[in-house]
Amino acid sequence: MTTVNPVIVAKELRKQYEDITAVDGISFEVRRGEVFGMLGPNGAGKTTTIEILEGMRDADSGQAIINGINVKDDPTAVKAIIGVQLQQNAFFDNLKLAEIVDLYARLYKAKIDPVEILSRVGLESRKNARYAHLSGGQKQRLSIAVALVNDPVVLFLDEPTTGLDPQARRQVWALVNKISENGATIMLTTHYMEEAEELCDRVAVIEDGQIIALDTPDNLIDQLLETGFKPEKRVREATLDDVFLNLTGRDLRD
Amino acid sequence: MKLYLALTIVSLKMYFRNRQALFWALFFPLLIMLIFGIMNFDGFNSPDVGVYDAAENDASRSLIDSLRGSDGAQVLAVSVGSREEVMNELKFGETRAAIIIPENFGVPGEFAELQVTYDERYAQERVVISTVLGQVTDALFKEVAQVPSEYRVENSIGISESFIEGQGQGFKGWLIPGIAAMAIMQTGLFTVVFTLVRFKSQGVLRRLKATPIGASHFLAGQLTTKAIVVVLQTYVLVIVGALVLGVTVGGGRLAVWFDLTILALLGGALFIAIGLAVSGWAKNEETAAPIANIISMPMMFLSGVFFPLSIMPEWVTRWSQYLPLTYLADGMRAITVEGAAITTLGSELLGLAVWIAIAFVIATRMFRWE
Repeated sequence: MTTVNPVIVAKELRKQYEDITAVDGISFEVRRGEVFGMLGPNGAGKTTTIEILEGMRDADSGQAIINGINVKDDPTAVKAIIGVQLQQNAFFDNLKLAEIVDLYARLYKAKIDPVEILSRVGLESRKNARYAHLSGGQKQRLSIAVALVNDPVVLFLDEPTTGLDPQARRQVWALVNKISENGATIMLTTHYMEEAEELCDRVAVIEDGQIIALDTPDNLIDQLLETGFKPEKRVREATLDDVFLNLTGRDLRD
Repeated sequence: MKLYLALTIVSLKMYFRNRQALFWALFFPLLIMLIFGIMNFDGFNSPDVGVYDAAENDASRSLIDSLRGSDGAQVLAVSVGSREEVMNELKFGETRAAIIIPENFGVPGEFAELQVTYDERYAQERVVISTVLGQVTDALFKEVAQVPSEYRVENSIGISESFIEGQGQGFKGWLIPGIAAMAIMQTGLFTVVFTLVRFKSQGVLRRLKATPIGASHFLAGQLTTKAIVVVLQTYVLVIVGALVLGVTVGGGRLAVWFDLTILALLGGALFIAIGLAVSGWAKNEETAAPIANIISMPMMFLSGVFFPLSIMPEWVTRWSQYLPLTYLADGMRAITVEGAAITTLGSELLGLAVWIAIAFVIATRMFRWE
């Protein structure tokens, strides 16, 4: 499969940690403007793959190319044009949000208005709050705001909604959709299937360091149904998630 | 450079918003200093006396031995030195009296006058010293120079007394630079260890590494902040200590603040480097804290912070004189109490320089970002 002018190219990536092969020959391409998801259980190799693409880890073999730049050759140039939200994000407890965004803008040599960036993730009213005082959802949105300071060509989100309550999760989804509508390419990892269905144009399913399926969510579902698959439980019109949100409201609790 | 400045300012903001760090850096050492300063341990020791022996004969040596008393019952804490050393020690409050033994002491037929100079601020010690001196000379001449009346004590030995007001600061003067040195150690070691280890375990450093600039600029800003804190802390401790405990700093020499700044920065560099080595090695706070304590606790008590090394057994001081904190505390004391210029502190500066070199080599080898 070859895409015209792909933004992300992964070719036969491999990474071995002592006795486990975390990434075992992964190849895929991501188009400009696409939201690409990597799905898989914990330990499948999602984070290692994404960190190789971000220039945070070296692959043992294979190629990672972002926007035409080989990551291994010039990780600094890659880091300058990507936005990164790591799985374990932490910022400085004693800084105000606007100060954190401003600090990161300096690290990317970007000239931005911190308050404007915060308003994109709905945190402008909290600009003077300390990081330590944020809720989990707010911290996650701040880390997305920080990932936006350099107006990135590609935004990497590693498990952006893990640990969030349903309301905060939906808020992050809306945010990702908005960023995507503005033309950014987004690559995210998740182990929530409804998240992948909601956000991703295409998904790669990873297990044991290998891609075992790669297609649009609709196609993957159709392929499954063609095999004669029947869900164990009859699908209803609403889910328990809907019940919860209907009972507790869609408003954020932070 | 602009980025470095901006990062330093951000680090300073973070530091001064952290009340716990401020407590340990400023209020805790201040508290210890004031508590110990008010308890005032001066009275517990036998008075210190400096002796200059110009005669250097059997009689004068016998006199000095008698002043010392026997091992079991020390009468006076006698130190022998040159005339200049002895007078300086008195002037800077390290001793309570200076005794000068003239050349003709013990020479039969001559009248020798012992010159005793007291620090007039210590009346009680003066009484002890003059009583001891009177008894000792008396006893000495009954033994050594028996016979004829012209050789009797009152005819052969005189004691002249004079007074100066020493700048001496006694225990309080000892304590302030000691605590300032200890605080430099604690700040350098602990704030570096705790902030960096936390940044490391929380993933803050990883996120910084994902930026094109990387985390090294940030680290430089952090370390600069600690150096600034170390200097400010030294000023606060010395100034507040001097005001509250009534001690004069550096004999009124103005350059003392410049010298203190340099010495504080050297001490800061040393303990920051040790902190870097520990935080580079440790994965989390649980492993970092004991290591930092194992390094700092012995020095707190073996480096002459609270009490002079001279009260400790010789097998301890033989090696504790080479501890990093000993060099720093000695240097701080020379500058603040004795009014010495930093350029005269050869052995202290050399000791610090060697330790800084060792610590930086270890730090660069041990430091890991994750």
